[in-house]
Amino acid sequence: MSSKKLLAIVLAGALGVSACGANDQKPSGDTAVKPGKGGTLRILSESRTLNLDPAKSQSLAITSLGLVHRRLTGWQNAVGQPAKVVPDLSDTGKTSDGGKTWTFVLQDGLKFSDGTPITSADVKWGVERSFAPAFGGGLGYHKDLLGGGDYKGPFEGKELDSIKTPDEKTIVFTLTRPYGDWPWIASTPAFAPVPKGKGAEADYHEHAVASGPYQVETYTKGVEVKLKRNTNWEPAKDQVRAGLPDAVVFQLGQEASVVSQRLAADSGDDQTAFASSFVSPAQLAQLQGNPSAKSRVVTSKSGAVAFLSLNTQKAPLNNVKVRQAFQYAVNKAAYQVASAGTAALAGDTASTLITQGIEGREQFDLYPSKPEGDPDKAKALLAEAGFPNGLENLSLVLNKSNNQTDKAEAIQAALARANIKVTIRSLEADAFETETNLSDNPTYDLILSSWQPDFPSANSNIQPLFATSEIGKGGYNTSRYSNPEVDRLIEEAQSTVDPAEAGKKWAAIDKLILQDSPVVPLIYTRNSFIRGSKVGNFYIADFPAYPNYLQVGITK
Amino acid sequence: MDVADALTRSAYCAPRQIIITPEKQVTQLSTPVARSVPAAIRSVLARDRWALAGTVTVVVIGLVAIFADVLTAIEGHDPYTYDATALAPESGLPAGSFGGVSGEHWFGVEPLTGRDLFAIVVHGARTSFLIGFAATLVSIGLGVLIGAAAGYLGGWIDRVITWSADVFLGFPYLVFMIAIGAVVPVEFPRALLLIVVIGFFGWPSTARIVRAQVLTLKERNFVKAARVLGASPWQVFRTELLPNLWGPVLVMATLSVPGKIGLEAALSFLGVGVLPPTPSWGRSISAAIDWVRVDPAYLLFPGLALFAVTWGFNALGDGLRDALDPRSVTRR
Repeated sequence: MSSKKLLAIVLAGALGVSACGANDQKPSGDTAVKPGKGGTLRILSESRTLNLDPAKSQSLAITSLGLVHRRLTGWQNAVGQPAKVVPDLSDTGKTSDGGKTWTFVLQDGLKFSDGTPITSADVKWGVERSFAPAFGGGLGYHKDLLGGGDYKGPFEGKELDSIKTPDEKTIVFTLTRPYGDWPWIASTPAFAPVPKGKGAEADYHEHAVASGPYQVETYTKGVEVKLKRNTNWEPAKDQVRAGLPDAVVFQLGQEASVVSQRLAADSGDDQTAFASSFVSPAQLAQLQGNPSAKSRVVTSKSGAVAFLSLNTQKAPLNNVKVRQAFQYAVNKAAYQVASAGTAALAGDTASTLITQGIEGREQFDLYPSKPEGDPDKAKALLAEAGFPNGLENLSLVLNKSNNQTDKAEAIQAALARANIKVTIRSLEADAFETETNLSDNPTYDLILSSWQPDFPSANSNIQPLFATSEIGKGGYNTSRYSNPEVDRLIEEAQSTVDPAEAGKKWAAIDKLILQDSPVVPLIYTRNSFIRGSKVGNFYIADFPAYPNYLQVGITK
Repeated sequence: MDVADALTRSAYCAPRQIIITPEKQVTQLSTPVARSVPAAIRSVLARDRWALAGTVTVVVIGLVAIFADVLTAIEGHDPYTYDATALAPESGLPAGSFGGVSGEHWFGVEPLTGRDLFAIVVHGARTSFLIGFAATLVSIGLGVLIGAAAGYLGGWIDRVITWSADVFLGFPYLVFMIAIGAVVPVEFPRALLLIVVIGFFGWPSTARIVRAQVLTLKERNFVKAARVLGASPWQVFRTELLPNLWGPVLVMATLSVPGKIGLEAALSFLGVGVLPPTPSWGRSISAAIDWVRVDPAYLLFPGLALFAVTWGFNALGDGLRDALDPRSVTRR
């Protein structure tokens, strides 16, 4: 679930596990030179924070968090192949009762960076820790399923009964209902081990005990995070991390456009760097005239769905007719151009919630109109809803990073055609979170954001954004949409273990939700990234639309 | 130009600008020392072609700002409407050469949006003039009142005001403005906020000059006479001091308008000025910097407009100061 609004976090903090051995990847847009071991990789991040606390992290399994922390399972992804869940700390899990009880067995001889063995109790502690209110904000797919409704984390002395550790290597999860995607859930950040009894301090992420190839050497808030090798990590026991560079340096708070220019110029240390933020449209236009830089840009085939969230709990957007007017008022073509200059670089216009390439996805459009929208129809709907003069003073909140303000201006101009007047507020990532998904009673009307599924299942497209349980408290139901019927159908689809059958159910939910119009799907975004000339094996697989940090190395 | 520098120079010459009430003019008729303000303006425009050029520039751009709607109606575009047809489909850059300059779009269009750049620059002039003038009015008004109070009343009031002015002059006001811009709710009218904040921080330099001027004026016989006859400080201020302050105040105001316009542009450049979609030169310049290599015209037009206004006011202000200060050598 990394949403684009979360980009800063996701990118910077990305985590993950990626796929399998470096040797069988066919990187797209990469040179044929294979990276070797050694060197220092630099990752230039727009965000001022790098969150290496697994409980608080939203990172994908293949990005920054994955460099430091392993999880029960990992991802194998490659260009032209669907992403697969593969063993990481443990196997990929076994169920004997149709998906309700899952047993994972850890590999032998795993050690933390401090030399102590990694046991099933440490994994359990890590999961329990994610329930503590002080460590909220991370991916929470597991929380409901483990029945942790009232559980407040392990620091108050209580354990979570749904997790059992019969011996040091075995961990058993008993879910509240059958859940076919559980092996994917076990690849989310909360399933990284935290040494039992540790991690009570708020700044744990600055000196987290590592299980992956790297550990924190220095953590300078807002400036730089240096990772050095974790000598207790054994490559032979890890099939998702290549661990090629000797050191990884995150440079924080880097202006995205400056970074693109630096990487295009490709001098000095920048040759061994890549940017975790997207290449801006201005930069993409400039790079067309620079063959060297152009060859170092990697664009994903598809990615997140960008959408406009409508606060369904606040007047006047609590009226479904008003919300439907937005479906016609937006100008998706202008949004594409504002995103990347051309429709081809920006991605296709969207009309569904489930993203391209996900099992069971059905293409449909409940509100057909031209890509430019239909302001007259929007005005008619507003008049029907009792607003013949349009709407005044709606507030649109967004996270500043990745050029979002320009995109919001495109939305603002499009809505103005239908007499909907919008004020834009651009906030830094932290302030944005505080005012949106952490707020109990938010004041926004609209949010511009995007959502990349956290694992390749429609479940991850729908549940985090539209389940009632995801409203507030760090959840991403920013339209604050609550429909008991949808909640029931989501549970039903989640319990369906057969992927094809589940896919059909998700497609039906997709339609049902859009009838209520809590969000306006805009485009399925393509992401473009740029790397320095000595960064090797830098590719974007079919899923997710981000480079696989764990396989990147330095070429000689 | 650097406003602080200009103000220092006028402060330096200010005590010499002895002046101008009708009864004084009689006694000073034979000396070339002082002129009335309108006469000074006339003479500077007649003699100083730089000041004349500056005045013409300011007046033209001022008229453009006032008649922005008419001008954009003639051209046929507004600064808000997106127009994908004006963009090259393969890049999102303006279609055509030099930023899409054509009979249809006089200054070309913005990349990625297709909004008309002429309309944006023209309406941006309105934003700049409104905020520049209003903020100057606020700062000069405050400065004159506070400075005159300090100079005329003296004593502890003078000490407190002088001390406050020193503190304000050393205050990192840009940082303060950025912070204010970030925390004030969006519902609050942005233009008003900028006027108040920019205007408020401008008073100390004006107050210092006015105070110095008043200190010399208050020892003059016509002021002493008014005081002896029982005039209240407010009456003395209105009828005796103020008429003698117009010269330096006008110079200061003229020289500080470009500073205020520049400050508005700077704040908008930093993203805490006027909110989109209200056009602002500063925001356009900020956006255009990313595009300068592929679309230099985007930076050129708003940049030129800002340059022209700043230069125009400075040239006019310099000329006025020369005219009102008999000791300076006038350029020809």
